[in-house]
Amino acid sequence: MQGSNRPTLSSKTYDADDFVAVQELFHSNGWTDGLPIVPPTEAAVEACLEWALMPPDQLIGIEPVREQPITAEKLAVNAVMAGCLPMHFPIVATAWQAMMQEEFLLHGVTSSTGGCAILIIINGPVRIEIGANATFNALGNSDRATSVIGRAIRLTLINLMDVRPGGIDRTTLGHPGKFSYCLAEDEEGTNWQPLSIVRGIPDGLSAVTVMAALAPRQIMNEWTTDPKEILETFAAEMRANQRHYSIYGGNYAVVIPKQLRDHIEAAGWTKRDIAEFLYERARIRRKEWADVGKAAIVRDRPEKIHTALESPDHLLVVAAGGPAGGFGAVIPPWMGSKTKAVTAAIGACVDCEPPKR
Amino acid sequence: MIVRVLDPTHELKAAGVKSAARLSSLEGKTVGFISNGKEGTKSYFAQLERMLREDFGVANVIWRTKSNYSAPADAHILDEARRWHAVVTGVGD
Repeated sequence: MQGSNRPTLSSKTYDADDFVAVQELFHSNGWTDGLPIVPPTEAAVEACLEWALMPPDQLIGIEPVREQPITAEKLAVNAVMAGCLPMHFPIVATAWQAMMQEEFLLHGVTSSTGGCAILIIINGPVRIEIGANATFNALGNSDRATSVIGRAIRLTLINLMDVRPGGIDRTTLGHPGKFSYCLAEDEEGTNWQPLSIVRGIPDGLSAVTVMAALAPRQIMNEWTTDPKEILETFAAEMRANQRHYSIYGGNYAVVIPKQLRDHIEAAGWTKRDIAEFLYERARIRRKEWADVGKAAIVRDRPEKIHTALESPDHLLVVAAGGPAGGFGAVIPPWMGSKTKAVTAAIGACVDCEPPKR
Repeated sequence: MIVRVLDPTHELKAAGVKSAARLSSLEGKTVGFISNGKEGTKSYFAQLERMLREDFGVANVIWRTKSNYSAPADAHILDEARRWHAVVTGVGD
């Protein structure tokens, strides 16, 4: 920003002797995830705010349980630390708007012993602008943009909500997605509707979906082209999660890479067809808990059926992954339906709440 | 070269809460337990109830359980808690 009317940043400043001293300052204060950070200088933070057309004191939202206000400036400081470029910042800000919706239950999600991470799924034209790679290694270190956006979410949680291990974060184990857990959908590589449109965002808009998510569980089935057989493998993994982790239904995500997706699409199946099939197939009887050492909680309801999805609408189908390999991933929810995935449009409504889902 | 960096933490503090006035005695008082519903709370609160009644002369102990163990207590529990002299919560897993 130029000129005398430039809004003033209000954050406290520190002077460090050099880059190494900055690292030690931030690590010693517990302001990092343990990895080196990009020094959040005034110029870098102002560039993020300028890109998003946000004044520093713009209130992104107030976390509903602890009533912590979240401002654009503080998000930008942490986004810069994570390695974000200005063009990444609107995605971080929108993700926070979505995370602060009451149904997401941010406090529970980030403090629970259950140890989930916040999965960020990006849709729309912004994926192209930021160079997100939705193909090779989509759930790993696929590209700069998704790596730093996912990391920004963790750093903001650490520094703005005190979500530090042993502090607010009471996680028993956690998973590597707590460093960064972000992917883009391969909209160019599929005929399916983008996730954002499935979830009610108008076509042509960019959007972010946030989900309280466990680690991805990889499946493999390269010995059939039948959609039902392929999806049966996904359903089996969802049932396994119900038996081994939590029996209760919630938002699951399934990530379907190109090889399996081509078979399913060729047979004329839509995302809705997939969701309805998995809703029917991913369910177990309560007595199955006894098979995995949990007989004590079967109680008097052995025949009760628990579905992995409360309804087909609760499945997030994401087209992403490299072109070859009969793999896919099931991403289970943190804990049943106590949290709901939230989708919000990027930049479509600057001063208002994202749409309720 | 000096590098000037910005503080990444929240400097706008949440409104916070004020602790209730401390009771001078628990004798004859009503104490509420708000459990998060997890299994480990049962034996903990059972023992605590025995101690409160036998060692501190508490008259009534009321047990309530949140509907969602990761969310704040339900509104009807908070309404009811206004009639208690003391509340024990935030423990158990």
